Amino acid sequence: MKNLFKTSILLGLLSLASCQDELTQDPIGLTTLEQANTTPTLNTLEKSVSSSYQLLSNRLNILAEWDWGGGLVFQNDYIMQDIASDDMEKKWSSDGDQPWIDEINNFTFTSTNGGPNGLWKYDYEGIKRINAAIELLTKADIETVTGITTARKNQLLGEAYFLRSYYYFSLVTNFGDVPLILAPVKTYQEAFDVAVRADKGLVWDKIKSDLVLAKALLPNSKYSSPTEKWRVSKGAVIALQAKAALYTEKWAEVPALVDELAGLGFSLNANYFDSFSTSKEYTDNEVIFSYDHQSNATPRKGNGICAPLGWGFFAPSTDFLNSFEPNDPRKLYTVDAANQNVNKMLGSLDGANKGNDDAPTNKVYMRYADALLWKAEALNETGNYSGAIAIINQIRARARTTVTALGTIPPVGTLPDRVASTDKATIKAWLISERRAELGFENQRMLDLKRWGIAKAVLTAHGKSFQDKHMLYPIPQSEIDASAGTLTQNPGY
Amino acid sequence: MRKNIIYNIVLLWTILSGSALCAQTVKGVVSDSSGPLPQVNINVKGTAINTVSDFDGNFTINKVDSNAVLIFSYIGYLTKEIPVKGNSFINAILTSDSQKLDEVVVVGYTSQKKASITGAVSSVNMDDLSKTRVADVGQALQGQVAGVFVSANTGAPGDGIKIRIRGEGTLGNNDVLYVVDGVPTRDISFLNQSDVKSMSVLKDAAAGAIYGSRAAGGVVLITTKAGISGKSSFDVDYYSGIHYATNLPKMLNTDQYLMVKDQAWHNTAGNAASAISPYAADRNRTDLANTNWQDELFTTGISKNFQASASGGSEKMQYLISGGYFGQDGIVVENNDKYQRFNFRTNINANLSDRFKVGTNLQLSYAKQDKLSSSGDAPGIIRHALIRPPVLAVYKDINDPTYSASNPYTDLPFYTGPNDGWSKNYEYSSNPIAIVHFTDDKRNTFQTFGNLYGEYAFLSDKSLKFRSNLGVDIQFSHNKNFGENFGDANINDPSNPYYGMGRNNRPNSLNENRGEAMTFTFSNTLNYIKTINEKHTINLLVGSENITSKSSAIGGSRQSFDNTTDPFRYLDYGSTTNIYSSGSASNWSLLSFFASGTYGYANKYFVTSTMRADASSRFGANNKWGYFPSVSGGWVVSKENFMEKVDWISNLKLRASWGQNGNQEIPNNAYQTIVDVTSDPPGVKRYGNEDIKWETTTQTNFGVDLGILKNKLSFTADYFTKKTSDILLTVGLPAVAVGVIDRTFVNAGEVSNKGFEFGLNLQNNDHAFKYNVNANIATLTNRVNKLQTFVKNITDDATHTKTEVGQPISSYYGFQFDGIYQNASEVSSTLFANANGTQPGDIKFKDLNRDGQINADDRTFIGNPIPKVTYGFAFSSSYKNFDFSFLLQGVEGVDRYNDLKQILNYDSRPFNSTTAVLNSWNGEGTSNTTPRLTFNNNGGGNVSSVFVEDASYLRLKNLEIGYTFNTEIAGIKYLRLYASGQNLFTVTKYTGLDPESTSLIDKGTYPQSQSFILGIKVKL
Repeated sequence: MKNLFKTSILLGLLSLASCQDELTQDPIGLTTLEQANTTPTLNTLEKSVSSSYQLLSNRLNILAEWDWGGGLVFQNDYIMQDIASDDMEKKWSSDGDQPWIDEINNFTFTSTNGGPNGLWKYDYEGIKRINAAIELLTKADIETVTGITTARKNQLLGEAYFLRSYYYFSLVTNFGDVPLILAPVKTYQEAFDVAVRADKGLVWDKIKSDLVLAKALLPNSKYSSPTEKWRVSKGAVIALQAKAALYTEKWAEVPALVDELAGLGFSLNANYFDSFSTSKEYTDNEVIFSYDHQSNATPRKGNGICAPLGWGFFAPSTDFLNSFEPNDPRKLYTVDAANQNVNKMLGSLDGANKGNDDAPTNKVYMRYADALLWKAEALNETGNYSGAIAIINQIRARARTTVTALGTIPPVGTLPDRVASTDKATIKAWLISERRAELGFENQRMLDLKRWGIAKAVLTAHGKSFQDKHMLYPIPQSEIDASAGTLTQNPGY
Repeated sequence: MRKNIIYNIVLLWTILSGSALCAQTVKGVVSDSSGPLPQVNINVKGTAINTVSDFDGNFTINKVDSNAVLIFSYIGYLTKEIPVKGNSFINAILTSDSQKLDEVVVVGYTSQKKASITGAVSSVNMDDLSKTRVADVGQALQGQVAGVFVSANTGAPGDGIKIRIRGEGTLGNNDVLYVVDGVPTRDISFLNQSDVKSMSVLKDAAAGAIYGSRAAGGVVLITTKAGISGKSSFDVDYYSGIHYATNLPKMLNTDQYLMVKDQAWHNTAGNAASAISPYAADRNRTDLANTNWQDELFTTGISKNFQASASGGSEKMQYLISGGYFGQDGIVVENNDKYQRFNFRTNINANLSDRFKVGTNLQLSYAKQDKLSSSGDAPGIIRHALIRPPVLAVYKDINDPTYSASNPYTDLPFYTGPNDGWSKNYEYSSNPIAIVHFTDDKRNTFQTFGNLYGEYAFLSDKSLKFRSNLGVDIQFSHNKNFGENFGDANINDPSNPYYGMGRNNRPNSLNENRGEAMTFTFSNTLNYIKTINEKHTINLLVGSENITSKSSAIGGSRQSFDNTTDPFRYLDYGSTTNIYSSGSASNWSLLSFFASGTYGYANKYFVTSTMRADASSRFGANNKWGYFPSVSGGWVVSKENFMEKVDWISNLKLRASWGQNGNQEIPNNAYQTIVDVTSDPPGVKRYGNEDIKWETTTQTNFGVDLGILKNKLSFTADYFTKKTSDILLTVGLPAVAVGVIDRTFVNAGEVSNKGFEFGLNLQNNDHAFKYNVNANIATLTNRVNKLQTFVKNITDDATHTKTEVGQPISSYYGFQFDGIYQNASEVSSTLFANANGTQPGDIKFKDLNRDGQINADDRTFIGNPIPKVTYGFAFSSSYKNFDFSFLLQGVEGVDRYNDLKQILNYDSRPFNSTTAVLNSWNGEGTSNTTPRLTFNNNGGGNVSSVFVEDASYLRLKNLEIGYTFNTEIAGIKYLRLYASGQNLFTVTKYTGLDPESTSLIDKGTYPQSQSFILGIKVKL
């Protein structure tokens, strides 16, 4: 009996001893931070950079599944820059769907609105991915560890610096002072420490210095890679440099930068719609930077914004439709009101892709016509009025010589040239209306109105209750809460 | 030998005295409401004549005086006296006495006499429980025990249940820990009700503390039936029932629908009053259907339950083998909402010597569910059956060019091919009948659950026992979902590879995965039970437990099956492009040591203390171990001398307890920062928290047990406070720093639950009409006490609920309804800053900050999702051979967000509505509750108290009438027939389909069905 007793106690203890090892288990299929940082692979490097582009895409549900209220189903450019402005309405007919978009439209939103939340999270998710990529790519021994070539490393690093400055550009122009985070956080406590807003001057400085780095690293050609034309090119870097100079009113820097673009081979397309047509992607002359959407790719890479278009989202305001000069072909190329097709967003003229959540239509971010108008604006500000007018007329000429969406030639007298003038205000007014017609539904309008200081006047006239505080969007309340209050709110919210 | 001599003498004496003329032989059967009772002691009153019923409840007593009285007594049952009165056959039906104080209750790792229990432990009345005839034993607990809240997730067969003991303790996993024959598990859906012998619910921390780390959600101990030595027995139990949907909302018919939408169209901005709306125009159409989608969707369901068991044994060995089947085809048309379960069980206990006992209890079960999309949106069949306009037919016209024999269902409203699109007048919805038809989603689980044990008794009086128990829980699951392509084609680009395919499941695909999960629980205990000098009772226990769990899964999928018939729904027959495969695994383990001691003095004073130490693989080195102590005491006041004179009080016991339980239900490796270098994007998936520690629930309980008139009336009351600190919660780190990644686990705050629980039991067996009433009621107050600074509030559902200090967990949050704007001046005076297009007839929300506009700052807490009161009332009775019972059950003080109401009656799209919209505002003074009909926003698109409804209900869960035959039909020893009704009526103000559903946001839920059941119980 005693033996049995002892044996069983012994057995019990043995079983416990063997179990002790199992109380510490390594995660399956995942590595710890230390392992990941010490042994990156070439594949990780490539994916780190390519995945950083995703936040510029219109693929649905990148960050969360159908989180409509949180503004995370797709990135909110169209809502924050077009619907908020006087150009676009939420839907073709008003209804109660997605009331948060109505709040953006009529400026009743608060810090809990999904719009600023989505904008903020898309940008900072992009920055997080970029920071991880930059950390890996700038490791001293990265070439020996992964076997990456110097040329490829430089190209990836150049793309990464550009993307980081692109996301910060979006943040600083929409939110003002924002946390300037330039390296991955290592622990969860650190995430709270870094969530502190930096002066917007510092953010602009970083945008510009990153672009200088990117410019030096990228190849001197229209495309960074002939086989991967979707990648950030030197042209994209230069264009963003010009745009940043414009937004910070360094007028003198803008014209030279825009001229550099011409040197890289960018020019206006003969047909206005070639920048948007799905059939002309990466064969046109004008698009400087776009996100490459593809149907039926694995993993998915399609443009999802065409699905909400199918549900009646994104419609022109009457004011926008009425703002076009007679017979301007750009009106129908932007939006076909009769058939309720937003052609520019669909990349088609016949309603193709509408309702398709996996459409091939690229999302265009920067094109040469836009850059030319920056140059015109800078020239006007620096007193070169004839130069400014010449560019405006160049844009108008292209528009009136474009075969219309109906296949006709615009009648004589369409979009006549602006006459010579030395009145800066007159030319500015021409510029303002030209940008609206040329760049409608391209996420520029609200930023332009704010930049020009006319947002309040224009939107009040449009019947919206725009107040001074609306020059900046509120920091998402969820972020202020998540930071335990280290993030401060913009005034007025 | 000696007995024989006496017997012979008595016999001789009776013959001689001639009294043999009045003496007779009495035969009979002893049973209770669930079947024959073996081992019942039968005594002829005033004599030493005794016998015991055999395993089938049969007994025979010879030479009984025809005027004698027989006394039937059995542990756990009320003693019963029956006069012979010359009858030769006596059918004795005993009533169980759940309050019997010498009843033995299973507690953690040991058992105790009920009298010595000092924690809050409720043993379940299995008679009452067995009347709720449902698939899941846990669901039958509904209404049986005070403080135990049970609710079925949906009414769809096999969809699972939710049980909460004493409220929601945490924001994370609150699930109950079941311990079946000593083996812990989180799910008991594999059990067949008739295999369960007893259930006890450990409600307070003192009772549960011995299960330490996983007991915070409460513990339910289940013992399954075992064989009893004696004659062998064969039992068959069968019932079958039919099920109906009830309480369905009344929807508009085509005529009403077109009228209502015409009105809405005219109330929509831009539509002239004189214009003819498309709806008015369509009233002249002859091709419109008048479909009642609910009639099309719901049908009569069928359930069947069959269980057979054989048991018996000798003193050396007892056995029980049983097999069972439960099947239910739900109340939705076709056979794609089916649940079937097969069980086989073997129980063997063997005494190898008078000290050494071994046994096994092994259960095999196979469950298969045909899973429908039974709740929610995208594409919940219930929701779509309600929102789909009645003008649409179920089937397309055969002349419709898009009609095909294999896909005859209507889809998009009046679809006329890709180029013409569909009619915009009738909102996009899915055809629920098509969804049901094309769903092929099978979930199979094969499970082996059970234990092997050995027990050895030491010491001369065998008071020290060593027990070693190995529990196994092995599950193999196999899910197979074929997504058949159906619906209207809506791609109009011929170059698209999916051109011409229906819009659902494009292209068709098969997803199949197989998983296995193995959990081994090895526990070793040493238990010393001794009574010294009849005064001191001692129960000491020490033990260790070691749980390891490993699970893994593999899966694959293919697309574009050429042939979609059943024989080709295997991966091999899909296209070889876009092949997916997957594989994963996860492991965890737990190591524990525990001890408990109970000391009783003179059956008057009891004190119990327990301690458990747990080490879990889920916590890092800093907090690997958690310690969970408890102490409790009881005082049986009625045993004191000063109570002797109060003879109407048969039992009065005061109880007090304090203890701590833990919760470790977080993912494996939550403490580690994990990185995925191969995914897209590569990088940190989740930041870890090295300091994360056990969530601890500290609970204090005060209770009193009172028995009156020999315990005919007994009463139990408890008051508890339960404080859960260091609640395990995920926090979203500032996206600014980490982007959008998985949330990090932290110990985030404190939640409290407190409440009263009352139980009442009344039984009266003194007359031919015997009855038993078991009533219980419990109150609960849930409150978040504090949250860490970085989790100021938790919006777990981004739009409808919020968790904030001072409020119950996940309270509904939104605008407050304040009537309907009656005229333009009311709009402009209320919304003076920004009317935002509000019209008379729109919903008026309270402008809480009085800034003259309605925006997110005007939201507030608008509802409580946790029931404040739960109650049950079980009544059972018998009169001669008839028995009758019912169970009423309900909850009070709970709200639910009826999102279905929003889309039906308040949406700005032309979905169908309930007839409630016929009373909409239509001019000043017409309604202050229902806004105008319009396709613009009338305020109904906002999350508001309009949709928060009182979901309190009172439900007649079951009602049963039975008849037990007392004749001995050849070969049949016991026969009872019964008829039962389930969910016979429901009293509720809730306008959704089922107030019982567990969804926080009710988007339309498969309702609990009403059913009528006929059953038979036979013993051969």
